[in-house]
Amino acid sequence: MSPRALRGWSWVHKWTSLVATLFMLLLCLTGLPLVFYEEIDHLAGTRIEAPPMPPDTPRAPLDTVVAAAVAAFPGKVPLYVFAEKDDPGLWLVKLDTRVDTDEREELLAPIDARSARWLGRPVFDEGVMHVFYRLHVDLFAAEAGRLFLGAMGLLLVLSIVSGTVLYAPFMRRLVFGTVRRDRSPQLRWLDLHNLLGIVTLVWLLVVGATGIVNTWANQILQAWQAGQVAALKRSAAPPAASIATAATPIQRAVDAALAAHPHMTLSQFAFPGTLLSTPDHYAVLLAGATPLTARLQTPVLVEPGTGRVLEAAARPALATALQVSQPLHFGDYGGLPLKLLWCLLDLATIVVLWSGLVLWWRKHRRPQPLSHAIGAAR
Amino acid sequence: MKVDEQGLWAIFRWPLAIGAASAAGLLAALLGDGAWDALSWLLLAWPVGWCLRGLHRR
Repeated sequence: MSPRALRGWSWVHKWTSLVATLFMLLLCLTGLPLVFYEEIDHLAGTRIEAPPMPPDTPRAPLDTVVAAAVAAFPGKVPLYVFAEKDDPGLWLVKLDTRVDTDEREELLAPIDARSARWLGRPVFDEGVMHVFYRLHVDLFAAEAGRLFLGAMGLLLVLSIVSGTVLYAPFMRRLVFGTVRRDRSPQLRWLDLHNLLGIVTLVWLLVVGATGIVNTWANQILQAWQAGQVAALKRSAAPPAASIATAATPIQRAVDAALAAHPHMTLSQFAFPGTLLSTPDHYAVLLAGATPLTARLQTPVLVEPGTGRVLEAAARPALATALQVSQPLHFGDYGGLPLKLLWCLLDLATIVVLWSGLVLWWRKHRRPQPLSHAIGAAR
Repeated sequence: MKVDEQGLWAIFRWPLAIGAASAAGLLAALLGDGAWDALSWLLLAWPVGWCLRGLHRR
């Protein structure tokens, strides 16, 4: 590499890292407990679970379930009903003041799928885990915070790419995996930074890139919804009857959608007007059985007036990317051992960020050209 | 350990192998449960092992 190119890449690596490091450290530290959100919730006793009943206990119709949620929170309207993958005895009904809200006042009502009883108020919006969650997702600054963290993620990607380019000149005369502990603290930090940085490279790129995609979730879902509405208008479907009158029971809408797709299971139900439906249709979101296809929701639109099932347009590529991004960012798709590996890789990333900061700080205090550091590495 | 000047292939062959294993590990657990999960743990343990080795004081 020419000295000029080396200086250029060093400049890119230094500045992208310096700007992003503080936020990346925050994301790594808050992300660590969030990997174990479910386990912590369960241990703390704050997780609401359906009481055990024989597996063949008949299930209540979804309409009764939703009615129980609305009765628990008068004045709120239902937006979504979620199936809990790990707890088939439970439905989660999301309510808010309006269907087209920013969900800042959202409420989640857990309803027993058999008895249709409201199981109490889950504690989502308080406690230290919620603080970690908000710091990780939007810095308590809603959409602006999300997009800002996404921009920091883009800097991280640039920093990873430039760091990989710089790895070569530093390693020219070193065997892979060398950490020189006996020379100087500077060299030890440098070798650790290079080793941990290069072996965690692919994982961090994936977690970083999927994190960036997750910050665009609202925009992607809005575009998807707009596309579906536009496609329905083009197909000139007859106007749906008013939802308030003659609404098809939602259980019948779900059954009709499942009958049209016999190999799929219900993942989520969306009321008209929400982000996942259209203003005039129910959306029944179906999913497959493998860890990947379980995340890829296929929407089926149902006319509330007639109960007619409409095939929704194919899922756009960005929506697929968003749905695949979620497990790949959370690490929650391969059991507890995968979560532990996620945690160790997160800790390794903290060491990479910290050692980078230390290397910069030491050089900054005692100016020393980069070529000198490479000379010392030889 | 120091060696004579190495080319790009010598410098990047192990990082490439570990990166490919990481990518395969991330994918494996998405494709199925059981054996797929175990394969994913095994593959992702490789980069983690190098991190632990690097941090270990001798």
